[in-house]
Amino acid sequence: MRRTVTTAVVMLACASVVLAAGVKKYGKDLTLKETTKISAIYAAPDSFNGKRVKVQGPIVQVCEMKGCWIALASDQEFQTIRFKVEDGVIVFPMTAKGLTATVEGVVSVETESVEQQLEHGKKMEKEMNKPFDPKTVKGPKTVIMIKGEAAEIQDAAGR
Amino acid sequence: MNWRRLNNVLHRDIGYLAVGLSIVYGVSGVAVNHKADWNPSYRMTKTARQIEPIEASDREAIIREALEKLGIDEAPRNAFRPNPETLQIFFRQATYSIDLPSGAVVIEGARPRPVLFEFNQLHLNTPKRLWTVVADAYAIALIVLAVTGMFVLKGRTGITGRGAWLTAIGVLLPGLYWVYYLWR
Repeated sequence: MRRTVTTAVVMLACASVVLAAGVKKYGKDLTLKETTKISAIYAAPDSFNGKRVKVQGPIVQVCEMKGCWIALASDQEFQTIRFKVEDGVIVFPMTAKGLTATVEGVVSVETESVEQQLEHGKKMEKEMNKPFDPKTVKGPKTVIMIKGEAAEIQDAAGR
Repeated sequence: MNWRRLNNVLHRDIGYLAVGLSIVYGVSGVAVNHKADWNPSYRMTKTARQIEPIEASDREAIIREALEKLGIDEAPRNAFRPNPETLQIFFRQATYSIDLPSGAVVIEGARPRPVLFEFNQLHLNTPKRLWTVVADAYAIALIVLAVTGMFVLKGRTGITGRGAWLTAIGVLLPGLYWVYYLWR
């Protein structure tokens, strides 16, 4: 009995080390070989609109309510891009912040009206538990995001 | 073996098999039902701190100075500047957001809740793949338990007596609620 328990503990410990050191897959497999720079999408959003891309960057935000999106930092400062998945298809862990993610999906470029931004801001306020100031909405805004179903997070321990 | 004995054996043994999963799904179900009021999987914390304003202007120097003023030796996972005045430093257990000109720091933490995190992951089928098969099998097992459960006893307390009324109430409950939900 004691030997069985010891073996189980050792196996669990080994599994955690393997998981901790590896790459964790979320959703479908990544298929694209070429990685696009996030800054390149921002430089020419219209040419990427509707196109499938694979991008990489550190995770700087995770949806607190459902884990249904992450924001990746761009290769240029002050720039992020949101990677959105259908609710429940992938649940990103809150503890993934700061880890590097590679994601694949279709670029979406949309113009958000003032009303849409106000509605979105209120939704984000609830999701992220952070105050939203409606005064920050000045006019229509172009929103660039990647809608996808495949991601890999490096060095994720799974929790 | 007559059909009732087979029914009861199935009900008993599938019931035993379903105990563990029923507890996982039940506990997580209650936790997730109230996610508008709390985060059922993570214990979220937010604390404030004050350090001296950051004077450096180069990105790497800013990070070095911030870590020094915070008194942190641990190597961060990453750092990011969402705007020229803010630096975010990411660690395994916390994210530090520093307002560079004022030195105001907000520390946000997200720790998985012991046991509940794992229960919720399974309940919400986060692992997908093999767990989808287990979850489907459990769902089928619940249907089998419900059906066989109706025929465990015979007589006054069975499905032809009190059981019929209680079963009818259980079937009507979701139907009546749905009508109320649509017409309210």
